[in-house]
Amino acid sequence: MPAEPMTCPKCGIQMNHHADKLDSTSTAALAEPDAVNLELGGILNEVHTCPSCKTIEIRRAT
Amino acid sequence: MTTQPIFIPVILGTPRQGRMSEPVAKFVVEQVAKRDGVETELIDIRNIPLPTSDEGESIKDPKFSETMMRADALIIVVPEYNHGYPGLLKHLLDTNLKEYIHKAVGICGVSAGPFGGTRVIQSLLPVMRELGLVNIFWDGNFSNVHNIFDQSGKLLDEAYIRRLDKFLQELVWMAKVLRYGRENIASE
Repeated sequence: MPAEPMTCPKCGIQMNHHADKLDSTSTAALAEPDAVNLELGGILNEVHTCPSCKTIEIRRAT
Repeated sequence: MTTQPIFIPVILGTPRQGRMSEPVAKFVVEQVAKRDGVETELIDIRNIPLPTSDEGESIKDPKFSETMMRADALIIVVPEYNHGYPGLLKHLLDTNLKEYIHKAVGICGVSAGPFGGTRVIQSLLPVMRELGLVNIFWDGNFSNVHNIFDQSGKLLDEAYIRRLDKFLQELVWMAKVLRYGRENIASE
Protein backbone atom coordinates (compact mmCIF):
# COMPACT_ATOMS: atom_id res chain seq x y z
CA MET A 1 0.00 0.00 0.00
CA PRO A 2 1.23 3.52 -0.68
CA ALA A 3 2.11 5.66 2.34
CA GLU A 4 -0.20 8.41 1.13
CA PRO A 5 -3.52 7.76 -0.62
CA MET A 6 -3.80 9.47 -3.98
CA THR A 7 -6.62 11.87 -4.69
CA CYS A 8 -8.23 12.03 -8.12
CA PRO A 9 -7.33 15.35 -9.73
CA LYS A 10 -10.74 15.47 -11.41
CA CYS A 11 -13.16 14.13 -8.74
CA GLY A 12 -11.26 14.79 -5.55
CA ILE A 13 -12.00 11.31 -4.21
CA GLN A 14 -9.50 8.70 -3.14
CA MET A 15 -8.09 6.64 -5.99
CA ASN A 16 -7.42 2.92 -5.88
CA HIS A 17 -3.76 1.89 -5.98
CA HIS A 18 -3.97 -1.34 -7.95
CA ALA A 19 -0.56 -1.84 -9.53
CA ASP A 20 3.14 -1.19 -9.23
CA LYS A 21 5.04 -0.88 -12.49
CA LEU A 22 8.80 -1.03 -12.83
CA ASP A 23 10.36 1.34 -15.33
CA SER A 24 13.60 -0.32 -16.32
CA THR A 25 14.44 1.86 -19.30
CA SER A 26 17.89 3.34 -19.37
CA THR A 27 16.59 6.80 -20.23
CA ALA A 28 14.52 6.91 -17.03
CA ALA A 29 17.44 5.69 -14.96
CA LEU A 30 19.79 8.26 -16.47
CA ALA A 31 17.29 11.04 -15.90
CA GLU A 32 16.69 10.13 -12.25
CA PRO A 33 19.56 7.95 -11.01
CA ASP A 34 18.61 8.48 -7.38
CA ALA A 35 15.14 7.06 -8.02
CA VAL A 36 16.44 3.70 -9.21
CA ASN A 37 15.65 0.81 -6.91
CA LEU A 38 18.80 -1.29 -7.23
CA GLU A 39 17.18 -4.45 -5.87
CA LEU A 40 14.36 -4.29 -8.41
CA GLY A 41 16.46 -2.93 -11.26
CA GLY A 42 14.51 0.17 -12.16
CA ILE A 43 12.27 2.98 -10.99
CA LEU A 44 9.16 1.77 -9.19
CA ASN A 45 5.90 3.57 -9.95
CA GLU A 46 2.43 3.25 -8.45
CA VAL A 47 -0.63 3.13 -10.69
CA HIS A 48 -3.89 4.55 -9.33
CA THR A 49 -7.37 4.51 -10.87
CA CYS A 50 -10.33 6.65 -9.86
CA PRO A 51 -13.40 4.49 -9.07
CA SER A 52 -15.66 7.31 -10.21
CA CYS A 53 -14.29 8.82 -13.41
CA LYS A 54 -11.69 6.18 -14.44
CA THR A 55 -8.83 8.67 -14.45
CA ILE A 56 -5.48 6.92 -14.20
CA GLU A 57 -2.48 8.44 -12.46
CA ILE A 58 1.04 7.17 -12.02
CA ARG A 59 3.62 8.38 -9.51
CA ARG A 60 6.86 7.31 -7.94
CA ALA A 61 6.35 4.63 -5.29
CA THR A 62 6.09 6.12 -1.85
CA MET B 1 -18.11 -0.46 -10.09
CA THR B 2 -18.84 2.40 -12.44
CA THR B 3 -21.89 1.86 -14.59
CA GLN B 4 -20.52 3.19 -17.86
CA PRO B 5 -20.52 0.74 -20.75
CA ILE B 6 -17.39 -1.29 -21.30
CA PHE B 7 -15.33 0.54 -23.91
CA ILE B 8 -13.25 -1.54 -26.32
CA PRO B 9 -11.53 0.40 -29.10
CA VAL B 10 -10.12 -1.50 -32.06
CA ILE B 11 -6.67 -0.54 -33.31
CA LEU B 12 -6.03 -1.05 -37.01
CA GLY B 13 -2.34 -1.74 -36.77
CA THR B 14 -0.90 -0.97 -40.17
CA PRO B 15 -0.82 2.10 -42.41
CA ARG B 16 0.16 0.13 -45.53
CA GLN B 17 -1.63 0.98 -48.77
CA GLY B 18 -3.99 -1.79 -49.87
CA ARG B 19 -4.04 -3.29 -46.39
CA MET B 20 -6.38 -6.23 -45.95
CA SER B 21 -6.44 -5.65 -42.21
CA GLU B 22 -8.86 -2.79 -42.83
CA PRO B 23 -11.92 -4.92 -43.68
CA VAL B 24 -10.99 -7.18 -40.78
CA ALA B 25 -10.87 -4.24 -38.37
CA LYS B 26 -14.18 -2.87 -39.65
CA PHE B 27 -15.76 -6.31 -39.28
CA VAL B 28 -14.45 -6.55 -35.71
CA VAL B 29 -15.83 -3.10 -34.86
CA GLU B 30 -19.24 -4.15 -36.22
CA GLN B 31 -19.26 -7.28 -34.08
CA VAL B 32 -18.18 -5.45 -30.92
CA ALA B 33 -20.82 -2.78 -31.47
CA LYS B 34 -23.56 -5.42 -31.56
CA ARG B 35 -22.92 -6.41 -27.95
CA ASP B 36 -25.07 -4.92 -25.22
CA GLY B 37 -23.28 -2.65 -22.80
CA VAL B 38 -20.20 -2.35 -24.97
CA GLU B 39 -18.96 0.66 -26.92
CA THR B 40 -16.24 0.70 -29.49
CA GLU B 41 -14.51 2.79 -32.10
CA LEU B 42 -11.94 2.23 -34.80
CA ILE B 43 -8.48 3.69 -34.32
CA ASP B 44 -6.61 3.82 -37.60
CA ILE B 45 -2.89 4.27 -36.93
CA ARG B 46 -2.66 5.99 -40.29
CA ASN B 47 -4.52 8.93 -38.73
CA ILE B 48 -2.32 9.39 -35.68
CA PRO B 49 0.47 11.88 -36.26
CA LEU B 50 3.63 10.61 -34.61
CA PRO B 51 7.11 12.02 -35.10
CA THR B 52 9.92 9.59 -35.84
CA SER B 53 12.59 11.78 -34.29
CA ASP B 54 11.77 10.49 -30.79
CA GLU B 55 10.13 7.54 -29.04
CA GLY B 56 7.93 6.79 -26.05
CA GLU B 57 5.71 8.88 -23.85
CA SER B 58 7.30 12.17 -24.87
CA ILE B 59 5.52 11.96 -28.22
CA LYS B 60 2.06 11.03 -26.91
CA ASP B 61 -0.84 11.92 -29.15
CA PRO B 62 -3.41 13.49 -26.76
CA LYS B 63 -6.45 12.03 -28.50
CA PHE B 64 -5.01 8.53 -28.59
CA SER B 65 -3.99 8.76 -24.93
CA GLU B 66 -7.45 9.93 -23.93
CA THR B 67 -8.97 7.00 -25.79
CA MET B 68 -6.60 4.57 -24.08
CA MET B 69 -7.42 6.16 -20.71
CA ARG B 70 -11.11 5.57 -21.32
CA ALA B 71 -10.67 2.04 -22.66
CA ASP B 72 -11.46 -1.04 -20.59
CA ALA B 73 -9.91 -3.35 -23.16
CA LEU B 74 -8.22 -3.20 -26.53
CA ILE B 75 -8.44 -5.20 -29.69
CA ILE B 76 -5.44 -5.03 -31.96
CA VAL B 77 -5.91 -6.05 -35.57
CA VAL B 78 -2.47 -6.70 -36.90
CA PRO B 79 -1.06 -8.15 -40.11
CA GLU B 80 1.98 -10.36 -40.17
CA TYR B 81 4.87 -8.68 -41.97
CA ASN B 82 8.03 -10.80 -42.21
CA HIS B 83 6.80 -12.89 -39.26
CA GLY B 84 6.50 -9.76 -37.10
CA TYR B 85 4.33 -6.74 -36.42
CA PRO B 86 4.43 -3.41 -38.26
CA GLY B 87 6.97 -1.03 -36.78
CA LEU B 88 4.51 1.83 -36.66
CA LEU B 89 2.23 -0.18 -34.38
CA LYS B 90 5.01 -0.64 -31.83
CA HIS B 91 5.96 3.01 -32.19
CA LEU B 92 2.38 3.97 -31.32
CA LEU B 93 1.89 1.50 -28.47
CA ASP B 94 5.09 2.68 -26.80
CA THR B 95 3.76 6.22 -26.46
CA ASN B 96 1.54 5.23 -23.52
CA LEU B 97 1.91 3.16 -20.37
CA LYS B 98 -0.27 4.02 -17.39
CA GLU B 99 -3.27 4.06 -19.71
CA TYR B 100 -2.88 0.32 -20.39
CA ILE B 101 -2.22 -1.13 -16.97
CA HIS B 102 -4.61 -3.86 -15.83
CA LYS B 103 -6.68 -3.69 -18.99
CA ALA B 104 -7.56 -6.61 -21.22
CA VAL B 105 -6.25 -7.07 -24.74
CA GLY B 106 -7.16 -9.42 -27.54
CA ILE B 107 -5.26 -9.74 -30.80
CA CYS B 108 -6.59 -10.51 -34.26
CA GLY B 109 -3.87 -11.67 -36.63
CA VAL B 110 -4.24 -11.22 -40.37
CA SER B 111 -2.30 -13.06 -43.03
CA ALA B 112 -2.42 -13.82 -46.73
CA GLY B 113 -1.34 -17.38 -45.93
CA PRO B 114 -2.91 -20.20 -43.93
CA PHE B 115 -1.67 -19.40 -40.41
CA GLY B 116 -3.91 -16.46 -39.59
CA GLY B 117 -1.18 -14.29 -38.16
CA THR B 118 -0.26 -16.77 -35.43
CA ARG B 119 3.39 -15.71 -35.55
CA VAL B 120 2.66 -12.02 -35.21
CA ILE B 121 0.29 -12.74 -32.34
CA GLN B 122 2.96 -14.74 -30.54
CA SER B 123 5.50 -11.98 -31.06
CA LEU B 124 3.11 -9.35 -29.68
CA LEU B 125 2.24 -11.22 -26.47
CA PRO B 126 5.40 -10.25 -24.52
CA VAL B 127 4.98 -6.64 -25.64
CA MET B 128 1.43 -6.59 -24.33
CA ARG B 129 2.58 -8.06 -21.03
CA GLU B 130 5.28 -5.45 -20.52
CA LEU B 131 2.81 -2.66 -21.27
CA GLY B 132 0.70 -3.91 -18.36
CA LEU B 133 -2.06 -5.31 -20.54
CA VAL B 134 -3.65 -8.66 -19.76
CA ASN B 135 -3.77 -11.08 -22.69
CA ILE B 136 -6.83 -13.24 -23.14
CA PHE B 137 -6.55 -16.84 -24.28
CA TRP B 138 -8.61 -16.44 -27.43
CA ASP B 139 -7.21 -14.96 -30.62
CA GLY B 140 -8.72 -13.90 -33.90
CA ASN B 141 -7.02 -15.67 -36.80
CA PHE B 142 -7.86 -14.35 -40.25
CA SER B 143 -6.16 -16.73 -42.68
CA ASN B 144 -6.09 -16.34 -46.47
CA VAL B 145 -7.65 -12.95 -45.87
CA HIS B 146 -8.20 -12.23 -49.55
CA ASN B 147 -10.80 -14.99 -49.54
CA ILE B 148 -12.67 -13.81 -46.46
CA PHE B 149 -13.91 -10.47 -47.79
CA ASP B 150 -15.01 -9.39 -51.23
CA GLN B 151 -13.83 -6.23 -52.98
CA SER B 152 -16.34 -4.11 -51.08
CA GLY B 153 -15.26 -5.50 -47.72
CA LYS B 154 -18.30 -7.76 -47.32
CA LEU B 155 -17.70 -10.86 -45.24
CA LEU B 156 -17.83 -14.05 -47.31
CA ASP B 157 -17.36 -16.63 -44.57
CA GLU B 158 -19.98 -16.51 -41.80
CA ALA B 159 -17.93 -18.81 -39.57
CA TYR B 160 -15.86 -15.79 -38.59
CA ILE B 161 -18.88 -14.31 -36.81
CA ARG B 162 -19.12 -17.34 -34.52
CA ARG B 163 -15.37 -17.45 -33.98
CA LEU B 164 -15.19 -13.79 -33.09
CA ASP B 165 -18.15 -14.15 -30.75
CA LYS B 166 -16.12 -16.55 -28.57
CA PHE B 167 -13.15 -14.17 -28.64
CA LEU B 168 -15.36 -11.23 -27.63
CA GLN B 169 -17.15 -13.18 -24.94
CA GLU B 170 -13.84 -13.80 -23.20
CA LEU B 171 -12.53 -10.27 -23.79
CA VAL B 172 -15.64 -8.61 -22.34
CA TRP B 173 -15.54 -10.87 -19.29
CA MET B 174 -11.90 -10.04 -18.68
CA ALA B 175 -12.55 -6.33 -19.24
CA LYS B 176 -15.31 -6.34 -16.60
CA VAL B 177 -13.18 -8.24 -14.09
CA LEU B 178 -10.22 -5.95 -14.58
CA ARG B 179 -12.32 -2.81 -14.37
CA TYR B 180 -13.69 -4.01 -11.04
CA GLY B 181 -10.16 -4.72 -9.89
CA ARG B 182 -8.77 -1.37 -10.99
CA GLU B 183 -11.52 0.47 -9.18
CA ASN B 184 -11.95 -1.63 -6.06
CA ILE B 185 -9.10 -3.98 -5.28
CA ALA B 186 -6.02 -2.35 -3.81
CA SER B 187 -2.52 -3.62 -4.38
CA GLU B 188 -1.11 -5.18 -1.20
